[in-house]
Amino acid sequence: MSQAAVLPQQVATRRWRSGALARVPYAVIALYVLVALIGPLVIDYDPVRTPLPDRLLAPGSRIASGEIAWLGTDALGRDILAQIVYGARTSLGIGLATVLVACVVGVTIGVVAGYSRGRLDAVLARITDVLQAFPAILLAIVIAGVFARSVPVVVLSLSVTAWISFARVTRGVALSLRERAWVDAARVMGVPVRSIIVRHVVPFTVGPVVALATLEFALVVLAEAGLSFLGIGLPTGAVSWGQTIANGQQYLETAWWISTLPGIALSLLIINIGILGDQLTARHGQRRPRS
Amino acid sequence: MTGFCKTTAIVAAAVLLLAGCSTTSGGGGGGDPAGEKLTAAGTYPIESLDPHGAQGASTGTQLAAQAIFSRLVRPGADGKVVGDLAETWEPGATAAEWTFHLRNGVTFSDGKPLAAADVVASFERMMTLDGPNAANFPDYKMTAPADTEVKLTAPAPDASIPRKLGLFYVLPRTVTAQDTAFFERPVGSGPFAVDRFAPGEVLALSANAKHWGGPPQLGHLDIRTIPDLSARLTALRTGELDVLWGIPDDQLPTLNGSDGLTVKTVPSTAVFTMWFNSSTPGLKKPEVRRALWQGVGFDTIIKQLYPQTGALADGLVAPAVLGYAKQSPVAHDPAAAKAALEAAGFDFGKKLRLQFSDAEFRPFVQAVASDLAEIGVKVDVLEKEKAVFTEDLLALNWDVNFQQLATPTYDAASNLGRLYTCAAGRTGYCDKDLDKLLAEAGASTDEAERADLYGQAGKIIWDDAVGMYPMTVQLAYSWRARVTGFTPDPSGLPDFSRVRLAGA
Amino acid sequence: MVAVTRMVVRRLLIGVFVMWGAASVIFVIVRAAPGDPAAVFLGPDADKEQIARLTAALGLDKPLFEQYVRYLGDVLRLDFGESYRLGRPAMEAVFERLPATIDLTLTATAVAVAVGLALGLVAGSRPGGAVDRVVSAVTIALQSFPTFWVGIMLVLTFALGLRLLPSAGVGTPAHLVLPAVTLAFPFTAIVARLTRSSVAEAMREPYVQTARSKGLSERQVLLGHALRNSLIPVVTIVGLQMGALMGGAVIVENVFAWPGLGSLVVDAVANRDYAVVQAVTLLIAGVVMVLNIVADVLYVRLDPRIRTEVAS
Repeated sequence: MSQAAVLPQQVATRRWRSGALARVPYAVIALYVLVALIGPLVIDYDPVRTPLPDRLLAPGSRIASGEIAWLGTDALGRDILAQIVYGARTSLGIGLATVLVACVVGVTIGVVAGYSRGRLDAVLARITDVLQAFPAILLAIVIAGVFARSVPVVVLSLSVTAWISFARVTRGVALSLRERAWVDAARVMGVPVRSIIVRHVVPFTVGPVVALATLEFALVVLAEAGLSFLGIGLPTGAVSWGQTIANGQQYLETAWWISTLPGIALSLLIINIGILGDQLTARHGQRRPRS
Repeated sequence: MTGFCKTTAIVAAAVLLLAGCSTTSGGGGGGDPAGEKLTAAGTYPIESLDPHGAQGASTGTQLAAQAIFSRLVRPGADGKVVGDLAETWEPGATAAEWTFHLRNGVTFSDGKPLAAADVVASFERMMTLDGPNAANFPDYKMTAPADTEVKLTAPAPDASIPRKLGLFYVLPRTVTAQDTAFFERPVGSGPFAVDRFAPGEVLALSANAKHWGGPPQLGHLDIRTIPDLSARLTALRTGELDVLWGIPDDQLPTLNGSDGLTVKTVPSTAVFTMWFNSSTPGLKKPEVRRALWQGVGFDTIIKQLYPQTGALADGLVAPAVLGYAKQSPVAHDPAAAKAALEAAGFDFGKKLRLQFSDAEFRPFVQAVASDLAEIGVKVDVLEKEKAVFTEDLLALNWDVNFQQLATPTYDAASNLGRLYTCAAGRTGYCDKDLDKLLAEAGASTDEAERADLYGQAGKIIWDDAVGMYPMTVQLAYSWRARVTGFTPDPSGLPDFSRVRLAGA
Repeated sequence: MVAVTRMVVRRLLIGVFVMWGAASVIFVIVRAAPGDPAAVFLGPDADKEQIARLTAALGLDKPLFEQYVRYLGDVLRLDFGESYRLGRPAMEAVFERLPATIDLTLTATAVAVAVGLALGLVAGSRPGGAVDRVVSAVTIALQSFPTFWVGIMLVLTFALGLRLLPSAGVGTPAHLVLPAVTLAFPFTAIVARLTRSSVAEAMREPYVQTARSKGLSERQVLLGHALRNSLIPVVTIVGLQMGALMGGAVIVENVFAWPGLGSLVVDAVANRDYAVVQAVTLLIAGVVMVLNIVADVLYVRLDPRIRTEVAS
């Protein structure tokens, strides 16, 4: 099954890996990171300020202050371009934090379980079984929905299932390394288990983990946007793509730009992360288990 | 090879099955070609038909209940109390005791007569279930001195009893408190009887031929719940819906241009109410509260966000409510507001927690926060889930609280009288003189005197800025040309018993 | 045969354990949540006494462990208690919404399988060709678009722009089209990728070469041999993706006001309707688990190679 899933990717991405086209995703992602980092310094945006006379202006309109709202304004007169820029910061920030948490937790558990096998490994298998009984987004909705709105709660709700893939992949690597001659040798020489794991096992997980982290990042950003779209999780003051898209839903007929433009920004980012992730996956031969 | 054949067959069959499958859970969609079925949709879903239960106070259940059941009395279109099951009623020596004389010859839709015993049993059922409507009648007792007479006794004089009883519906006496089966096919004495009920989806009604006032003009009435706003509007335009209400301001222009649609707004009893928590140290002084009110340009906000469905409020309750009194307007003056705050020693470094619950109000609340930020007052806008909002509201865990406060009884007793006493403790504000005025107003049986007393109480609340009272809400209705005799209702509870369909 | 039975029994035992774990996870989340369900139930007009009475009636004043034991017993009997908001048993409300979600997910599956197979077939028949490139780009896009945004864009185009289809709600089969297509988006990509690879693989197999040399047309070869080969993984993936599909349905239902489990659970979460939250999440977990087991068994039953593997 995993075999079958690997193949199309490799074929599909072979083309991407060759030539200048292969660098496109790097360039696009770099652009998003740049926008998220310095955009807020260039574009001034205060989600609290609601210039009502500027509300629902079409892209390219001139606002009261004489400036031009290149991507239009929303129902409270706030600039859409600015919301996309600030939303990038929220999305990338939450994505990064979640992947970091999931990665640290997942790799630790995976390496330890894979290396020690036995009971610990069985417990890990059962825990993942239980957590994967729920669709990931459903569990995130329930967790983020019942606790008070905050960024850490969103990160937690997304990490709850995100770590599993990391644990699976590293467990697999650790399991196979365990039987290798040099690990055996280290063991026989009496090197402490912790050192063996850190020195001889963890380094081999880096490749697959980076590839996985890229794909997980895309999934997490999508999930966060989904939560914000449902109005769950983030505090009101936060600017997020999902929220802007949801805000525009009731103005589709009169102000299509509110929902449409942030969605394009989000889709472009995910497409490019997806391509990059596929490239890395093809290179490292480990495929994320989808669920 | 046989394995492959089998696989193909199974999959092909499965795909065919799936493709042939279509939705089964539909509401009764579309207008009736015979023209005698009216389809309507309001703002709030109908989740339960039990008017005594937990959902009893919700707009959806009230709308269903008034079509299916009867009350002793009900509010008329102008807010005055009119008889429903009761033909006449009068207070005893004090307002602590009220007698209602029932109409003769009323039957339920199954033909059984409705008598005083049904009314008493229903009242007891409502009190047993202890839902939100029961909270209006703590330790009240109802008895039936005769077969056509019921008597309601309150522990203390309560002049608002007739108006409060507009929330009380009469069921057959056989219905027990936990009888959920009854509500699958309820029997009532209202103008309509239930054909089908799917909670949160559709309530299909047909005319009750045995209604005491004569059967309604409509043969069938479907009340649908369409949660999505644009879907509601589309359904109205395509003729799937005949009547729609609760239309947001921004959508009204798109309807106004449509052929064959009447659009009308009516003043509701709801007022945007933004209490200050007077027990917060920073908001103790009336000068501070007044200055904050002065600092928000409600006039502009309303003009921009609610040009057709909002109007600057000039009282604590809507004009249709008994006890409404005009107060002096608070003009927007940011400079004066800032100066007053500085003079009162307001701490600009501290953030005010502004809580609200419904996404619908987000733009308004954010616009208020924006104006306050202009005069240097920092506001944390907290949109809370209903559960947390309610808990925090009661615990006074907020600095400014936004609510759309309606007065469905059309009586200030259930608004001012209930919420602003020291004992209620709802706003952290306490004033002995106010308490006295409210108690007097609640006990008097003379409506003019009550209106006057509530007016005086209102002046204290308004002038001390216990809260900001920026806007009275108008409810927008739209209906198709074939609907005649329809009167928009201020509470979002239109009466369909006199509505006709042209050509029916 | 015996091996298959043993596998099923083992999977079922794990399934029971998983359901217990899932029930416990939900219990912990729900009890850790702030907000007093009794206070919400009664609304802002209730007094403290009323709230206390209801808390006792709901058993929320008992020690946590006692609540947990009672809760597990109730779950075994599929009794999740009264939904305070709906005034009736939560499970009843959930079963009422279930058909709508089944309609939606099954239709989406049908769309995804049909479109995915077609895309995969044309792409896999000439790997590396122009069509393959286009399909590959399309599948990446299909998988990357956020479903809720896709839904809104479809509404903008087909409901508001072209006025061809209703924008939301239920009623006629036409109401089902946009939500089902939206939900099918990412799933179509998965099926297409899978089919493409199997077909491409099959095209290199000796038996396909033989069929070709026998003079069968390219179309006959594709449909008769290559497609068959790809059906086994597709069946499996349909089962394994049910979890993701249900998750997608939660969001899509909210975009289209579709009266299924997804809109019910989001509503219930927002209102602290614990009974409904528990009932929906556990029902979905149960359905996903059963479908996964069915997919596993089907996979073993369908593929003769695997059957011998399990037996040995």
